[in-house]
Amino acid sequence: MTKRLLALTVNGRMREDAVAANLLLLDYLRGTAGLTGTKQGCDGGECGACTVLIDGQPRLACITLAAACEGRVVETIESLAIEGRMSRLQQAFHEKLGTQCGFCTPGMIMAAEALLRRNPRPTDADIREALSGNLCRCTGYVKIIESVQAAAGG
Amino acid sequence: MERMPQFDLRRPASIAEAAALLAAEPGARLLAGGTDLLPTMRRGIERPPVLVDLGAVRDFSRIDFADAGLALGAGVTLSQLAMDGRIVHHHRAIAEAARSVAGPGHRSAATIGGNLCLDTRCVFYNQSEWWRATNHYCLKLGGDVCHVAPQGSHCHAAFCGDLAPALLVLGASIELCARRGARVIPLSDLYRDDGVAHLALEPDEVLVRVLVPARSPALVSGYRKARARGAIDFPLAGVACALVARDGVLAELKVALTGTNSRPILLAGTEALVGRGIDEATLSALGKLVQKQASPMRTTVTQSNYRRQVAAALAQRLVRELAGYEPSAARASMS
Amino acid sequence: MNDVSRATAGGPARDAPAIAQGRTAGQRTPLIDGVEKVTGRARYTADLPTGETLVGRILRSPIAHGVIRRIDTAAARSIPGVRAVITGEDFAAPYGVIPIARNEWPLARGKVRHRGEPVAAVAAIDETSAEAALAAIVLDIEPLPAYFSAAAARAADAVQLHENKAGNIEREVDQAFGDVDAGFAAADLVRERTFHYAEVAHGQIELNAAVATYEPERDRLTTQSVTQVPYYLHLTLARCLGMDSSQIRVVKPFVGGGFGHRVEPLNFELVTAALARAAGGTVKIELSREDGFLTHRGRPETDIRLKLGMKKSGAITAVDCEIVQRGGAYGGYGLVTILYAGALLHALYKVAAVRYHGYRVYTNTPPCGAMRGHGAVDARHAFESLLDIMAGELGLDPFAARRANLIVPPYRTLNDLQVNSYGIPDCLDWVEQASGWKTRRGKLPRGRGLGLACSHYVSGSAKPVHWSGEPHAVINLKLDFDGGITILTGAADIGQGSSTLLAQVVAEVLSVPLARIRVIAADSALTPKDNGSYSSRVSFMVGNAAIRAAQEMKRVLVTAAAKRLEVHPEDIEWNGDHCRVAGTDRTLDFAGAVDAALVDTGTLTVKGSWSTPPETQGGKFRGAAVGSTAGFSYAAQVVEVVVDEDTGAVAVERVWVAHDCGFAINPLAVEGQVQGAVWMGMGQALSEETQYHEGLPLRPNMLDYRVPTIVESPPIEVKLVESRDPLGPFGAKEASEGALHSFAPALANAICDAIGIRLTDLPASPDRVLEAIQARKRRERLRASIGVSAQPDPERH
Ligand SMILES: Cc1cc2nc3c(=O)[nH]c(=O)nc-3n(C[C@H](O)[C@H](O)[C@H](O)COP(=O)(O)OP(=O)(O)OC[C@H]3O[C@@H](n4cnc5c(N)ncnc54)[C@H](O)[C@@H]3O)c2cc1C
Ligand code: SF4
Ligand code: FES
Ligand code: FES
Repeated sequence: MTKRLLALTVNGRMREDAVAANLLLLDYLRGTAGLTGTKQGCDGGECGACTVLIDGQPRLACITLAAACEGRVVETIESLAIEGRMSRLQQAFHEKLGTQCGFCTPGMIMAAEALLRRNPRPTDADIREALSGNLCRCTGYVKIIESVQAAAGG
Repeated sequence: MERMPQFDLRRPASIAEAAALLAAEPGARLLAGGTDLLPTMRRGIERPPVLVDLGAVRDFSRIDFADAGLALGAGVTLSQLAMDGRIVHHHRAIAEAARSVAGPGHRSAATIGGNLCLDTRCVFYNQSEWWRATNHYCLKLGGDVCHVAPQGSHCHAAFCGDLAPALLVLGASIELCARRGARVIPLSDLYRDDGVAHLALEPDEVLVRVLVPARSPALVSGYRKARARGAIDFPLAGVACALVARDGVLAELKVALTGTNSRPILLAGTEALVGRGIDEATLSALGKLVQKQASPMRTTVTQSNYRRQVAAALAQRLVRELAGYEPSAARASMS
Repeated sequence: MNDVSRATAGGPARDAPAIAQGRTAGQRTPLIDGVEKVTGRARYTADLPTGETLVGRILRSPIAHGVIRRIDTAAARSIPGVRAVITGEDFAAPYGVIPIARNEWPLARGKVRHRGEPVAAVAAIDETSAEAALAAIVLDIEPLPAYFSAAAARAADAVQLHENKAGNIEREVDQAFGDVDAGFAAADLVRERTFHYAEVAHGQIELNAAVATYEPERDRLTTQSVTQVPYYLHLTLARCLGMDSSQIRVVKPFVGGGFGHRVEPLNFELVTAALARAAGGTVKIELSREDGFLTHRGRPETDIRLKLGMKKSGAITAVDCEIVQRGGAYGGYGLVTILYAGALLHALYKVAAVRYHGYRVYTNTPPCGAMRGHGAVDARHAFESLLDIMAGELGLDPFAARRANLIVPPYRTLNDLQVNSYGIPDCLDWVEQASGWKTRRGKLPRGRGLGLACSHYVSGSAKPVHWSGEPHAVINLKLDFDGGITILTGAADIGQGSSTLLAQVVAEVLSVPLARIRVIAADSALTPKDNGSYSSRVSFMVGNAAIRAAQEMKRVLVTAAAKRLEVHPEDIEWNGDHCRVAGTDRTLDFAGAVDAALVDTGTLTVKGSWSTPPETQGGKFRGAAVGSTAGFSYAAQVVEVVVDEDTGAVAVERVWVAHDCGFAINPLAVEGQVQGAVWMGMGQALSEETQYHEGLPLRPNMLDYRVPTIVESPPIEVKLVESRDPLGPFGAKEASEGALHSFAPALANAICDAIGIRLTDLPASPDRVLEAIQARKRRERLRASIGVSAQPDPERH
């Protein structure tokens, strides 16, 4: 199958890669770009584990074509720690135990990141709404909500 | 994990170009947000040779408020709809419906066009290739029986888009563009009662805009959705309602349903309730109308009878809420 | 001989320091591997860099039950890029986690017994050729009658799934303790009810995956996988591949949850390894979510008939229970599940007499297995529901009914389970007060209700599945010139925080900061064997072993420091960072103590081990080992619900849960575990269920298998009750399963309080609730039409 050249920004870096039309953004990130922080937890669009930001919006990498990201800005969990310092959200998820097995965590944090950029002082309802597409099987969500609140308040 | 089938990807810059591509490539499909089409392709249900990605089309996601009404580009995303203050204020049903779709990660990609042109759903259809093959396929795709109603020759897969009923009660029409020209039709004419071919679209037609006529400021609208969880789930039944109530009397009433039939339906017979007081008798008559016209079949893991009943309950509740009717207070005033 | 590697004795750790609040143990401690998780650096199986790797794919049976006549792989083998094609014939032996129930082949052999059972597998250079190869395999399977319910499989004329199992009964349990008939005769009230529970699944978010590398030159195999039980996987690989176990290495990377799905070796792990050997290289298999539901091992569909006798005081005089579980196609943990259901049914309370009859049935559905709260969850719902029903009839408050049956430790239950600590009374007091029970219950508006239930669970099975006479847990500690302490443990941290707990325990005993400690876990080439993460055994057993190892290391360090300071070891005050000669200002810092300890011996390695004392290993009757444990955890919870009577929707508004974890070594993690457990109970109680269409799962995805979202998940307020178990490490006990069991019955009791309807089926999905509401309306209409004055349902009280 013919490949096309894809130019986009991933975590602040411009990239150009030859990609097949049917390559999913998830596989592009994990395979081509080697960014395995973004996870896969379902057969397409049902769990939120693959949440990344595209032009600042939360998006599901497992049901997005890589080729459709031409010229866009993609951010993954790997982009949040700056100069080795964890972001507030990462710090809060770590300290408040917003993560247990950690598998939903990258998607959860990216969805929360999109929220806090838009709404730095979210209510409990805002947090629930923003994370409503991200399933977690470990925490019961209680400490996830606390983590986001802590990151917003701190 | 199944692999994505192979296809050619085109990224036209205009609607006309998109329509031309559809006309030129038999079997080509439009790709908008992809939140329905790509999961379907990942399950091997759809295998289009060509995908026409609308992501690069100019002027496709505009929201225009004018005296004549509201014009929504088909590329407007559901998160745009849910967050637009004017829509929340003037056309609440649309904002509520948009907000109830899937999750935020879907809504920031999902478009109006994709939501209105959503495929119908069935628990025997939205499964992997291995699953469907093991189950000997079905009428809708690759097989010759319907596992929901094996005696019949009809597919009952349910239309489950949330936006359609909200737009139906507001009297929306849609603008379609094909290679040979454009046409505007009432939204209700987009749909047919056939789970296999529920869209009355020509193969090269693109939905370009949705037009919502200006209405009296007294018109209030809303959308309610029954589902098992607080997010992600498609509607087991969804009900939109738009009404004008004056002095406790219905002056206008439109109700539409989704999730129950192969097409979204604008409830017939609500005119008969216009002029009546908003009381238990009226609500019970409304409930009967819903129960009669909603015809859910065994296409979901949840009992079809429940979907019918809950549709009626939600319609009653929504009318009550929109009309500001409190049952106990009304009863007290009646006695 | 020097004392490089010295083991401590195996008996109970009664000598474990009882500490009120340690420096490290007892402190809220973020996970030691949390940074990796929140930054995306943690590598799970699917993330591992593997070099040149072949793609593995599994072909699954479309037939629910049938005889395999032929599997033709010739065409598949000739497809370019295909490196290996294997079938059941390529394995040396069948497997099964219970030694007496090894009846499953990694790829079906002879017969297929459920739709989706793996029958063949391929390894190829890419997905395209792998899929082409699968499509080219020809299956010739002669169908047999298939049974999708326990009742159908038990029918007199049913064909047997397994040759040696007549009537398709995998295990029948028939137990009686005490004089049951006399107990019922002595009761003031006897009631019997039936209950039905849908099958549920684990739904861990990480998809299954395995990577195996075979080195033909050395006949060596390395497997990395999502397992909770690396050691059982190791044994099973050796068995099924016919390899010497010394040639196998099993490594557990980060694991994204398990909840019991991965608590036995799974077919895809064995298949990946066999493919790697056949292809002579590295093979990776990544499974889909659908595959996960076909692999299953979830909680079985269950029918329960329960009869209780009760005194007016609420004291339970007798229990009679029958439980039937639809076990699926293979043994797995099945016989343990059916035994657990009976063993834990009544042992929560002081009960005079019990009869239990259990049937585990083979059916043509994906095999069930162990799931969080193994065996005991559904039975708890039945028991706590009937308790409430009867308390209501006797005019007793639900709290009073529980308090009438409390145990006073030490206590031996009817079925010979040893209770050494029992925090239920405190748990009850706290939830009663926190929920405002006394002032609110009975005064809430219609549609809103409160419900109570209690539960308990084991802290690890006192007898392991593979009884070898070895200690239950072994820990190695290594200390070298750098002053870093490395904990080597086979215990698999799958997100529950076991590595953090072990680091805390060692840091506590040695009085060193956590930063000095590293944990290397679950790599068979480096770490001591461990039975794995199941039945909540790790904190208790491995924690005890870690205490002992750390005590031994401390002894070595103190002795060396004493020698360097030229005093007796008894004169040394050990303070971690440095030690001091008592009563003087002569000190030696930690580095100095390490230097001293390394003289002559070099690198220090010490070992600690632990075994359950014999009195906790259960009685002598058949099946007595199941349920036995060195320490039971306890929980009580109150659930507040709002029921929408128009739509049947049940909203859980709040949960108050008190959990007796003995001692919270890491209160942060314990809270997280308790919340997770309560919430998982909520999923089963409200929305989760599998469903089959002629043996084909109808909900094999995260859309129809309805794991609760954050939107409908309630605040869960946790109180940790610390009863200080005499055998637990620092008094600690289990913390991640016990609170799961009481959610569903507390919910059912709350729904009954809210709308007067008793739900005996789970889940309480809106359609079931609405149906129950309408059934009542129909009954009331019927009663009205035949002239009987409409009475309130007897259930409401
Ligand atoms: C887990 C999950 C949950 C979901 N829950 C819901 C839900 O609750 N409610 C709901 O309504 N939907 C739900 N969806 C479906 C989907 O996300 C939405 O319906 C969405 O609005 C579809 O829009 P899209 O732009 O992504 O469509 P696409 O996937 O891009 O397209 C859908 C279909 O519409 C056609 N199409 C797209 N644009 C046009 C156009 N302009 N003209 C003509 N045809 C067009 C495409 O060819 C395709 O056939 C869910 C999906 C998932 C994966
Ligand atoms: S309703 Fe029948 S024909 Fe239509 S998708 Fe479902 S099973 Fe197939
Ligand atoms: S992986 Fe589940 S939504 Fe993308
Ligand atoms: S932390 Fe395990 S799934 Fe969320």
